[in-house]
Amino acid sequence: MIQAQYFWLNTFLLAIGTLLIRSSILLFSSKIVISDRLREIFSFIPSAVLPALAVPMAFYHPGTVDWLMNKERVFILLLATVVAYFSKKMTTTLIFGLVLLYLVTQF
Amino acid sequence: MIPIIPGIIPFGAVMGSVSSEVGLSFFQTIMMNVLVFAGAAQLASLDLMKTETPVLIVLITGLIINLRFILYSAAYSPVMQKSKLLSRVFNSYFLTDQSYAIMSAHEHRLSSNNQKIQFYLGAAICMWTVWQLSVIAGFVFGNFAPKSWALEFAIPLSFICLLIPSLKNNKYVAVAVFSAITSVSLRPIPYNLGLITTATLSILLGIYLSRKKRTQ
Repeated sequence: MIQAQYFWLNTFLLAIGTLLIRSSILLFSSKIVISDRLREIFSFIPSAVLPALAVPMAFYHPGTVDWLMNKERVFILLLATVVAYFSKKMTTTLIFGLVLLYLVTQF
Repeated sequence: MIPIIPGIIPFGAVMGSVSSEVGLSFFQTIMMNVLVFAGAAQLASLDLMKTETPVLIVLITGLIINLRFILYSAAYSPVMQKSKLLSRVFNSYFLTDQSYAIMSAHEHRLSSNNQKIQFYLGAAICMWTVWQLSVIAGFVFGNFAPKSWALEFAIPLSFICLLIPSLKNNKYVAVAVFSAITSVSLRPIPYNLGLITTATLSILLGIYLSRKKRTQ
């Protein structure tokens, strides 16, 4: 359970920070020029951040499937990566991952 | 806009079901989605809030994820150069991966900046509406879904789906693999600082790889 005061503080700060980021260049559009180099550096953000969010969630989950060394979520995440790569569809990947996890943990 | 919608609905639904799972009220869920309106950052923040991570860490993590919006803001700025301040702030609120993708795909067909702004706002507001409705559906459904469905696993799955299109070449794949391995090793660092450290090291690796290629 997340405490209400703590939740609102985080939400408001995140909202303000996000709006500042979104409006940053738009507000000073005539004065700021983003170089190609900086553009390239920013383009690394998704590849740097998203695996760091996803992988520990799967790796540190206390699994229940002995024959997968209790790391069933890691294996399914790897398989889902392949599915996501070929299907390019979020719905397909989500259904694949959730159904496979259900089957592996229940049977 | 229609081709983008199938990608928004499941992500919004995940956001809604995760919100209900961590114990947010319906009002909190709606307000977070209206105020922040940035799915990946919200999911990461909720995950950190669950473990009562210090506010500063939650904030930095969320904002690092959202830093990519600077690029979209820069790409959209020539169109908004002559608009009023309030109009710029209003338009910037709707900047997302999807609205940017739609705008950049259709911009060349529109002749004036006014047309471009109208097109962008139309697409962005449509996207915003679909997102909020998907969150509500996910929240309602998440409250009824049995634990055995492990809906929280949809979070890492969603992140993987968002990651794939950003892997443009081997440099990006190398950064992603490095980030995955490093994040697991650095997870035990206190205050959940492992994520920020991993993100910083991975971006530095990206800078190094791209510099190396330029000097060759």
